[in-house]
Amino acid sequence: MSILYDEGQQAIATESRRALEARVSKDELLPLLQTQGVYHQPFWATAKEQGWTALALPEAYGGLALGLIELGLIAHQAGRTLSGAPFLTSSFGAAKAIELYGSDEQKARWLPDLASGETIGAIAFAAGPDPLPAEPTVTLTGDRLTGIAGAVSGGLFADVAVVLASGPSLVLVDLSGVERAAIDSFDNSRCIADLSFADTPAETLATGDAARAAALHILALQAVVTAHEQTGGAEALMEVARTYAVTRKAFGQPIGAFQSIKHRIAELYGLVELARANCIHAASREGQADFITAAAAARLSATEAYDTAARDCVQIHGGIGVTWEIGLHLHMRRARSLALEQGSSFFWEDVLVDRLAGDEA
Amino acid sequence: MSDLEAWRAKAVAWCESMVPTFGKAARKGLSVEDDLALGRRYQKAKFDAGFAGINWPTDLGGQGLGHIEKITFEAEEMKHGFPNVYFGISLGMPVPVLMQFGPDRDFVKERVLKALQGEEIWCQLFSEPSGGTDLAGLRTRAETDGNGWKINGQKVWTSWAQYSDYGVIVVRTDPTVAKHKGLTYFWVDMKAPGVTVRPIKLAGGDSHVNEVFFDDVKISDDHRMSPVGGGFAVALATLMIERYVATDSAGFGPHLDLFVDLAKEVRLNGKPAIEDGRIRQQIARNYAMRAGLDSINVRARRMMEAGMTPGPEGSLNKLVAVRSRQKLSELALDLQGAGGFAFDEHASPKDDWASSWINAPTGRIAGGSDETLLNTIAERILGLPQDHRPDKGIPFNQIPA
Repeated sequence: MSILYDEGQQAIATESRRALEARVSKDELLPLLQTQGVYHQPFWATAKEQGWTALALPEAYGGLALGLIELGLIAHQAGRTLSGAPFLTSSFGAAKAIELYGSDEQKARWLPDLASGETIGAIAFAAGPDPLPAEPTVTLTGDRLTGIAGAVSGGLFADVAVVLASGPSLVLVDLSGVERAAIDSFDNSRCIADLSFADTPAETLATGDAARAAALHILALQAVVTAHEQTGGAEALMEVARTYAVTRKAFGQPIGAFQSIKHRIAELYGLVELARANCIHAASREGQADFITAAAAARLSATEAYDTAARDCVQIHGGIGVTWEIGLHLHMRRARSLALEQGSSFFWEDVLVDRLAGDEA
Repeated sequence: MSDLEAWRAKAVAWCESMVPTFGKAARKGLSVEDDLALGRRYQKAKFDAGFAGINWPTDLGGQGLGHIEKITFEAEEMKHGFPNVYFGISLGMPVPVLMQFGPDRDFVKERVLKALQGEEIWCQLFSEPSGGTDLAGLRTRAETDGNGWKINGQKVWTSWAQYSDYGVIVVRTDPTVAKHKGLTYFWVDMKAPGVTVRPIKLAGGDSHVNEVFFDDVKISDDHRMSPVGGGFAVALATLMIERYVATDSAGFGPHLDLFVDLAKEVRLNGKPAIEDGRIRQQIARNYAMRAGLDSINVRARRMMEAGMTPGPEGSLNKLVAVRSRQKLSELALDLQGAGGFAFDEHASPKDDWASSWINAPTGRIAGGSDETLLNTIAERILGLPQDHRPDKGIPFNQIPA
């Protein structure tokens, strides 16, 4: 069942929008792309100040005991302003893994600092194109981890990672002594890094089928947050396209009067609203049997909405749309980096169809 | 249990009790006339059970409940394939407009009660050969004739006109003013001398739409439901009556689980089709799209329950769902290969892929074409400029043909 936002939730949306619009500008974001190892500090500072990092964690560990619905609303606004640091999802994912599968000791050690945002978490499940590999590249021997976890979003700054290792095993790793190599990316603000484990101590959270199921659950939680961020980005682009189409004139009239343009923007409206609807639904299904199905649908429609909006918004702008200065490429880049984090559409299509066909593992 | 849940439970129980008499199996093989007769009995049963005119005033035979109760009942009713299609337009637009604008209240009450019980059917005479989307471009005219009016011209795409007793009609009463300003709204007796109804056979084989010809059809002035020249506003009111109806994210075609079942049965190049990436992608994308619509519709219902007005995103339903139905139906025929040729023109588009496919284009045109809906979204929701309209502000009889 879908939901209506209550007053508190609406206030979170309004307040986070206000805070982010006041603190983010395109001119701050552009330089981040050309430098490795820099993320949008004002965003993370805002996230900590506003308590967004604590939002979806239990009160016992300094959290605010809210959930995916509220975090999703903030992610939506972060997506609108393009400001989201990768930790919004990576730290959340790591914290949820510890909360759901960790021991009391592990929770006490990590959750309070993850809640305050002082500690940054990461998720390292993927092996190349496979976000949930049957044979992880990282090997667990006893309680030691060896091998390279490739292209971990936020990995450059993470203090702790939840890793899918051989077994399969879901393990918790303190990254303080771990070597990391930044990856030069089309969206450097995601702070993507290869993490090299060399006989690194690891603590097991789950093993075997339970580890795989746990990893999928964490991915799905993150995917719902990311889907909100993608939908926010798509919505902002739709508005940018709309504004440009009523202002820019050609052949004696606003270009938005041409059906080839106005219909393109109307189609974007459809994609954005379907994605938003699926996001709201998925966030409200956390803890229910159909959560993974709802998360997959949200993820698929949000990816389609953001990529299409990025493509079409640039097209509607014509030549100016491809310049560095106007910054639409920031959205193009972010649409793609968010589409790859937590599994591409191919992955989520399979997850969804397995469930619809009654074949889920 | 909330009041609404209790209402839903009552609706579920009643609908289920009607299945043996009026369900899909009972209708199988019936001629249209026999099905209509069954439909009239169904409508009477619905009236007697208190499920007709759910949100209409009790003094006109309605139940005096809210819109939310109406769509809740219809969502349940829709699951069973009852013979109610003949009354959809009648009770959807013309009769509510009659209730609102009909000048003679005794006449109105009699008509409403008969329509609610399936005894009389009303049609809506709007579209014309020269203008469907451009409603205000219509050419059928009414001229004053003694104490009344005389109608000449032609309407088209009039659903169920061949079975209708009455119709509401918009005609041009003044060609010398701008096109929107010269229209007047009347009701007509479909059995009156000079009215000729000709069914149009559609691509899928059925004939629920008609051409209707008016040849010196005389009506008295008490048939008039708008001020002279004020018909366009009433026509718009007609179109706005049912903004939120019970919707179907399958675009009134087969549900996605039928496609999944087909993909599990059929082998494609030696492997189960459900394992084929192309098929999987279509299933996943269609699911995501339809789930989005379902979520929008649920939110709209919740907003109505809470006394709020739903957002404009409900306007996406027909646009998005019918396109998906059309493509998925093509793909279902592809999956069956030569086995997909079999065609039964009386099969239901709700569970037969060929029937769904051949009838899908109607869904993309009727009730606002895809292009019109995109314009509406762009202009009304997003505030983009209107299309260029060279006929704006020009007297109707001076618009270049």
